[in-house]
Amino acid sequence: MKKLVSRRKFLAGSGAAASMALLGCDSTTYLPPDVRGGLMGAADVLTMATQRLLLSGQPLAQEHDVSDITRDFPTWGNTNPRQEDYQDLLSGEFVDWRLPVGGLVNRPMSFSLEELKRLPQRTQITMHICEQGWSAIGQWTGTPLLEVLRAAGDVTDEARYVVVDTYDGWYEGYDMFDVVHPQTILAYGLNGTDLPLGNGAPVRLRVERYCGYKNLKFLKSINVVSSMAGIRRGTGGINSDNDWHWYAGA
Amino acid sequence: METANSVYRHNRNVRICHWINVIAFCYLVVSGVHVFLDFPELYWGKVGFRGHPAVFRLSDWGISWDEAGEMGDRRWGRNYHFLFAWISVINGLVYVSWNVWNKHFRRNLLPSRAELTRQSLKTDLVDHLRLRAPEAKAAGRYSVLQKISYFIVIFIVSPFMILSGLAQMPAFTAISPELIDLFGGRQTARTLHVIGMLWMILFVLVHVFEVFVAGVVNEVRSMITGKYAVQGEDTE
Repeated sequence: MKKLVSRRKFLAGSGAAASMALLGCDSTTYLPPDVRGGLMGAADVLTMATQRLLLSGQPLAQEHDVSDITRDFPTWGNTNPRQEDYQDLLSGEFVDWRLPVGGLVNRPMSFSLEELKRLPQRTQITMHICEQGWSAIGQWTGTPLLEVLRAAGDVTDEARYVVVDTYDGWYEGYDMFDVVHPQTILAYGLNGTDLPLGNGAPVRLRVERYCGYKNLKFLKSINVVSSMAGIRRGTGGINSDNDWHWYAGA
Repeated sequence: METANSVYRHNRNVRICHWINVIAFCYLVVSGVHVFLDFPELYWGKVGFRGHPAVFRLSDWGISWDEAGEMGDRRWGRNYHFLFAWISVINGLVYVSWNVWNKHFRRNLLPSRAELTRQSLKTDLVDHLRLRAPEAKAAGRYSVLQKISYFIVIFIVSPFMILSGLAQMPAFTAISPELIDLFGGRQTARTLHVIGMLWMILFVLVHVFEVFVAGVVNEVRSMITGKYAVQGEDTE
């Protein structure tokens, strides 16, 4: 108890001291779930730790004017998952689509599209930056991931990562730093219409401070975990399992 | 080889940083090209994508989108580009802070007022154009044009490459949207990053050419051992 009070006092100190305390407190904010070996891992840590320090005040990604919106928003990668379960939902116009939210939440539950839309909504005009080099500006409408987790009774104390699975077989882990960010939303609308098929219908993830490859499309389920260790190759998601950067802010 | 006619030209820090930089530069160029090949078009402004009006298209130069994609390995490119960006930045910081501290920059790299006169610049330019080793070089010093070009590459183009690189990162839309706006948008930053790379390649080509003009064995030896042989009879 005494220790807690002194830590609070310490945190109340200068911003730099607070960041350092944070660095000691929760390394997951500054380190990927699985650090690669050698110099490549050192560079990963430098990139993530530096950017997370610069982002420690959780600033919003730049939001643009309506006039900046890219009208025919480009599509890339998978634009129509061939998986049978997805095709069935697609032909039923996603009426039967359900998003299970499970794992380390107090009240695991499942959301229909309508239920998701009834939760607090956020609309943001932001730039999608693909790791390939292209960029486009879209108006995204959706439910903040944090609101979805709240509706599921909030995460438990052990929760460290949110794992998102998609209908086209992608899986990816996000740490709490990005999960709690107000612009991290489950988007069901683009430029004032329902999210088009090629952009990830019915719901895709927007994590604005990450490259395209961490903005998953065709969401299937959400699972809160304490560690990424047991999931597939255990590095933190499909991207890092395939030797891409887990931290995608660069 | 130490003789009465050799001068100690490069300190150890300059020599080590130089060769680390050679390796880092090569990796940065090659990995950057790999990343580019995966999306071989350049745009101007905030947005750019396939179908958007481009300022440069590799397909106009006979390499189709698919061919470029087969040549480039984006994953390898991204991994090595960021690794060597860090190596290059750390190496550059060590180099600059060390040589500001030991006054190497002020003594040897900053052009003096006397060197910046029209006459002095003209003499040096004529010497270079006639492929004649300038007088300053013979004495083991840098010539004024050499000083100016090193100054530009160290203090202008290198920071420009770092900033235009950062301006392309999604995290910087939150860390510093001002930086992206300063470049005139993300796609402009990307295009300028490529132009900066072309400028740097040009610098390296001229640099290597001048090394051959001045005597490749002597020059390379001086960047490895520090000793530069001075031949009195070559000065005019």
